[in-house]
Amino acid sequence: MVDNAKLKDVAKEVISREDVRLLIGYRPGTYGFRARPAFVENSDQVDELIFSPACVSNLSSYLTLEEKTPLPRGVEPDLRKVAVMVKGCDSRALVQQLVEKAYDREHILVLGIPCRGVVDMAKVENRFPGVISGEIAMEGDNLVFSFDGKEETVPKEELLAEKCKRCRYPTPLISDLLLDDEVERFADDDYSDITAMEGKSTEEKWAFWEEQFSRCIRCYSCRNVCPMCYCEDCVLDRLKPVWARRSVDISENTVYHISRAYHLAGRCIQCGECERVCPVDIPLMLLNRKFYRDVEELYDYEPGIKVEEKPLLSTFSVDDKEDFIL
Amino acid sequence: MNGRPKIGVYICHCGINIAHTVDVDEVVKFASTLPDVIVARDYRYMCSDPGQALIVEDINNMGLNRVVVASCSPRMHEPTFRKTLITAGLNPYFLEMANIREQCSWVHEDKIAGTEKAKRLVESAVVKVRRLEPLEVKEVDVEPSALIIGAGIAGIQAALDIADAGFKVYLVEKTPSVGGHMAQLDKTFPTLDCSACILTPKMVDVANHPNIELLTYSQVEDISGYVGNFEVKVRKKSRFVDVDKCTGCGACAEVCRQAGRIPNEFDEGLGMRGAIYIPFPQAVPAKYTIDKENCLFLSRGKCGESPKCQEACEAGAINFELQDEIVEFKVGTIIVATGFDIFDARKKPEYAYGVYDNVVNALEFERLVSASGPTGGNVVIPQRGKKKKKKEDEEELGPVIPKNITFIQCVGSRDKSVGNEYCSRVCCMYTAKQAHLVKDKIPDAEITIFYMDVRAFGKGYEEFYDRVRREGIRYIRGNPSEIFKRGDKLVVKAEDTLTATPLEHETDMVVLSVGLEPRSDRREIIDILKLSSSPDLFYLEAHPKLRPVDTATDGIFLAGCCQGPKDIPDAVGQAKGAASAAMILLASGKVKVEAQTSVVDEATCRGCGFCVEVCPYSAIELVEINRAGWPVMVARVNEALCKGCGACSAACLSGSIQQRSFRDTQILPQIEVLGVK
Repeated sequence: MVDNAKLKDVAKEVISREDVRLLIGYRPGTYGFRARPAFVENSDQVDELIFSPACVSNLSSYLTLEEKTPLPRGVEPDLRKVAVMVKGCDSRALVQQLVEKAYDREHILVLGIPCRGVVDMAKVENRFPGVISGEIAMEGDNLVFSFDGKEETVPKEELLAEKCKRCRYPTPLISDLLLDDEVERFADDDYSDITAMEGKSTEEKWAFWEEQFSRCIRCYSCRNVCPMCYCEDCVLDRLKPVWARRSVDISENTVYHISRAYHLAGRCIQCGECERVCPVDIPLMLLNRKFYRDVEELYDYEPGIKVEEKPLLSTFSVDDKEDFIL
Repeated sequence: MNGRPKIGVYICHCGINIAHTVDVDEVVKFASTLPDVIVARDYRYMCSDPGQALIVEDINNMGLNRVVVASCSPRMHEPTFRKTLITAGLNPYFLEMANIREQCSWVHEDKIAGTEKAKRLVESAVVKVRRLEPLEVKEVDVEPSALIIGAGIAGIQAALDIADAGFKVYLVEKTPSVGGHMAQLDKTFPTLDCSACILTPKMVDVANHPNIELLTYSQVEDISGYVGNFEVKVRKKSRFVDVDKCTGCGACAEVCRQAGRIPNEFDEGLGMRGAIYIPFPQAVPAKYTIDKENCLFLSRGKCGESPKCQEACEAGAINFELQDEIVEFKVGTIIVATGFDIFDARKKPEYAYGVYDNVVNALEFERLVSASGPTGGNVVIPQRGKKKKKKEDEEELGPVIPKNITFIQCVGSRDKSVGNEYCSRVCCMYTAKQAHLVKDKIPDAEITIFYMDVRAFGKGYEEFYDRVRREGIRYIRGNPSEIFKRGDKLVVKAEDTLTATPLEHETDMVVLSVGLEPRSDRREIIDILKLSSSPDLFYLEAHPKLRPVDTATDGIFLAGCCQGPKDIPDAVGQAKGAASAAMILLASGKVKVEAQTSVVDEATCRGCGFCVEVCPYSAIELVEINRAGWPVMVARVNEALCKGCGACSAACLSGSIQQRSFRDTQILPQIEVLGVK
């Protein structure tokens, strides 16, 4: 696990650099065991930085979320680097963003965190209800929870986020400074749940997704948190033409989710943020992983692995499989 | 075009092609009720002069500003009706066609349902036509020169025609000499004139023609640009011989330490050459080339005390320091004439090609029977791939003359098991010719030909086939299943399918009439020019009947066997066709560029470059713009290059790149009409 003292030292050094304007990391949250993003602009603010299994969010989204407000005439844009802390999974978002030329490589400074997994906060809150303030640490294969002056140890398997149990890339695939020793791959995705879903009849599948999508309240959290959804002007928001209406009903919700899944085909890097933030618990990764698996099997392609790679859906080879075309 | 759309709808009967399954009257009635439709009419043949006159009259008298024609596919007649609109003074892009023939009447039987569908198609065209915008057709100048890739008979003929018309031609050939496969042939069917005798004058012509720049031993590396303005980069491989100094005397080849040790490609490996060589005596240009893989000095850095060739060359032409040279030039049009490969008979292991010396392929046989070939035209069993026998043995035995020769047709053609379903079109005739030549040279030889069908379709072909049969050559209808050795004879196992008799046929030599295949290096040109292939993997023409020499890319044409197997007359005919197509562009000097191009909304483009990658015409690039003070990258379309294929708009996630006349706002209402009701 990353040593938090070392983390702060590195952060102090980085934010003091002339060519760095902002450092995005984690700090303790305001409730329970949670952690939240920290935006560090000067070295005084580094003391609050942490990394722990509570640091679930994918900070790479902030690189593309940051609004470029119009500059008054004569004002030069601040093009200094933004430093960002990323886990293995999050780092793939940076890679894919670079593949898609979302920004220049020289405009970011990557602080890589080799990661042994983060918790599923919902499971943690179930296990320790009503805790106002606490911390989580990882020791070997256990999670250590400290709160109200006591410590409790739980095998990590019980409370780990589902995505971590399928994680193929625990060590960041891109980094300028690696904050800890590399972590070997300790898990893989066997897609068993996808296979089970594929085995169902069309009617069963439709019934399943109809129920899921009918609960969607169209809060757009899944889109907003997604590191790969960063169009300045999302087609699903457009009024001319209207691809999906604003109305919250099964038909429009379905259009919304299917469009999003298609737009992520060959691009989704499996950070699982969409599913994590969904307030009505729609299993969105079931859709995204189905595409991920198809892309992997059909084209031998995993997005977010190599910066030099061309985006899957903008390349063509005559040997591409096309037997799925009706 | 201001004010409300005033739409005219014109519904064609196409004789009974449409009227048979679509109630045209009902569609007319329906169309007249649609919003903004001022007039709806039908006519027996809308594309005829009176049909078009109807439209022009209505535009003039009723002030129509939009036209829908419900007839056939736009592929044939969209240009016709665009011209009609121009005649009436309307922008030609205010036209929308509803395809109620190919997509309706031809594919349906039920008249009631067919009529309903036709109504929907018409309505969808009406909702689109109201949203169309006027577009401007631009013209660009054409560079008055042509590039021809491949200098076989097709490339040579096309080059001569274009050059004779007064345009500059760059003729690029990969090998050291022009001539291609035709130069390897002995006699040509059905007239039996000597291939070299009719070809070499043309070879000399291309070398001497003032308008032709001949680039042999050269390869096209890159082509960018578009019709009228292609930029070409050619690599002139180093021959290590200064072609300006080389006199072609051949003194170098005689002294080469590798002389007689390297299989000569021109003789299909049956003859030998040295590391410095000329492929054949009539090669054009008559300049020597050093094969750097086999040259001792170039591959090992040492050739005895010093390279003998250099000493022998009085002209001082040999220079081991010579490097590849890159030549760049602009052309207006391109003809691809890259030819074919012969089928590799090793893919049919049952015929034991490559196992027995006396099983040869037809091109090898062509070299054996040729007076300029390695045996001086004596048909003997070739000794190859083996160490030279002791001299005494050879003297004792002498060359073995086969007295019984068997030909097998359709090797690698009409054969699904090797992936070639097509007929190679030349094998029946060249087999008959080769059989005839054997009869000429070894009068007492027994000759048998195994065949599936004999296809003697050309002028004088059937007559020639008849003549050969009368010469006592035995045709057995059957596809042999195996060739094996028994004693010093080969045995061909087959079934005579006319008498249903299995047979074992003993013979001295088997000639496999191998078919023609797409070149193994065909991808090089595909990658450079983005050509398409047909299922047989030959390059695809734009239309199998009406545009047989065009490709899908404007300004790029096909000639010869790269488009499909052809005999010499057909290859020459197609070459002349391609040359004439190229000359239309060159002579007019102007070319119209697509108006339905893509356009980028720079305010929403996120500069991901997906469109840049998918564009088959390299028409899009990323450029930096200033967006409210921030430098951002966005896509930009070069409208001269854009062909309006729409690949970019399909790839764009944010819908920021749209194709004119096919914008989302124009197509979605169509889909709504077709799908929602």
